Amino acid sequence: MIRFSNVTKTYPPDTHALQHVSLHIKPGEFVSIVGQSGSGKTTLAKMLFAEEKPTRGEIVIGDWEIHKIYPWQIPQLRRQIGIVFQDFKLLQRKTVYENVEFALQVAGESKKRIKEVIPQVLKIVGLQDKKHRYPRQLSGGEQQRVSIARALVHRPKILVADEPTGNLDTIHAHEIIELLRKINDYGTTVVLVTHDRDIVNSLKKRVITLADGKVVSDVECGKYHIS
Amino acid sequence: MSIILSFSRVIKFTFQNILRNFWLSFITMTVFLLTLVTINSVLFINVVADSVLESVEKKVEVTVYFTPEASEDITKAAQGYLRGFLQVRDVQYISAEDALATFQERHAFDDVILSSLNEIGDNPFGNALVISAMSTNDFDFILEALETPEFSPYIRDKDFDDYQTIIEKINALSLRIRIAGFALAALFGLIAVLIIFNTIRVAIYVHRDEIGIMKLVGANDWFVRGPFLLEAILYSLVAVIMMIIIMFIFLTASETSLMNYFDESYNSVYQYFLNNSLIIFGAQFLGLAILSILTTAYAMRKYLRV
Repeated sequence: MIRFSNVTKTYPPDTHALQHVSLHIKPGEFVSIVGQSGSGKTTLAKMLFAEEKPTRGEIVIGDWEIHKIYPWQIPQLRRQIGIVFQDFKLLQRKTVYENVEFALQVAGESKKRIKEVIPQVLKIVGLQDKKHRYPRQLSGGEQQRVSIARALVHRPKILVADEPTGNLDTIHAHEIIELLRKINDYGTTVVLVTHDRDIVNSLKKRVITLADGKVVSDVECGKYHIS
Repeated sequence: MSIILSFSRVIKFTFQNILRNFWLSFITMTVFLLTLVTINSVLFINVVADSVLESVEKKVEVTVYFTPEASEDITKAAQGYLRGFLQVRDVQYISAEDALATFQERHAFDDVILSSLNEIGDNPFGNALVISAMSTNDFDFILEALETPEFSPYIRDKDFDDYQTIIEKINALSLRIRIAGFALAALFGLIAVLIIFNTIRVAIYVHRDEIGIMKLVGANDWFVRGPFLLEAILYSLVAVIMMIIIMFIFLTASETSLMNYFDESYNSVYQYFLNNSLIIFGAQFLGLAILSILTTAYAMRKYLRV
């Protein structure tokens, strides 16, 4: 499903964000990418949705070769990958429903399909009763759930979550992780980028640890152990 | 994906952009309109100047005086000969008797002149031809055409009246107005380019979150750029429509004054704008739209990395 082969990313003049990273993530897996700030985990996540291209090496996601992707192909790729960020990236002047609707509108989905899909995803994230609220009327955890609902509208095979609990308290953070686990149970591959020790340890899933742009450990059912 | 659906959403987002940045949209359209007002003022002055020139040109006549020896037959032969030229609008024959009568009538109260005329005894006037041409530039050709062995011995004088000087002055003034007008229009055009550029830059800044999210959820290039381009075209369209309304109000108001000023030879400026409105305002819309699309495209290339 996702294959990194000897991937290096260098920012001029000589900052190496990733160095010779090779890894393979199978369909349906739940993988945590952990590491300290500057370890390269966000760069790796950005490569998954073609926000960054590798300087060297190959990245293959399903049928997509990210290292060769053309700019006009990127929108198609992003409709197949759900993305969730730490800062939610919600439109403040739109309601919960409209925020989710927006993702479908820009992708050119029909009104009929929009009406079908939105109640489904809002039900998954448990916000069907708050669909007319604006982001400022929601808690951080709820805003992140809106962002997850939006990421799910295209029924992605992969969900990339970059520090999704970074702005949340422990209770809300665990709610979000439970939601990601539920989505994974439905068959979606989840790549979680985090530096939250408790979350990684509670998940008991595969953990890839990065340090200085290199993979230093890759353990099935791993734990967060960075010195 | 349905193209119509996608296009209707681009239109929806375009109107949202315009309304959410109402004052910025208003200023941009005002600058567009000011540019058009300058261009149309220059055009109006040119049309009026052309109309004046034409009306003066119609009045320009050259009188060819024949010697008293030239018989009526010779003078009329010359009249017929001149009428054969395409450059000649009309040739009037004035007999020696008519010339004398007109002269006497004109100086009826001037005893000195009348008494000197009596002293001469014979009619001192010869026959004459009054020639009007299609264009004042044709007179050189027409007068040269009379330089034949058949007519030239009988020609005493050719009188080119003072209209030539007036025409030259109007021509020079009209040229100066045109140059100044185009310089002013170019200046406003440049200001319009800068304002459009800045408007789009601000719009992109205002919408950066929205654009970022659009990119995130897989909006294609055209969906992101479309509203900005359409906005530029809409500004141009509204500015041109407003210009048409202002122009025809102004033309209707000024038509009576112009008509009174230029008598029956006046070519209606209102009619000119009405007959050529599609070309005049169509070209202005196209010019403005192309200009704003290019500026928008440049601003997006510089500030909007999609």
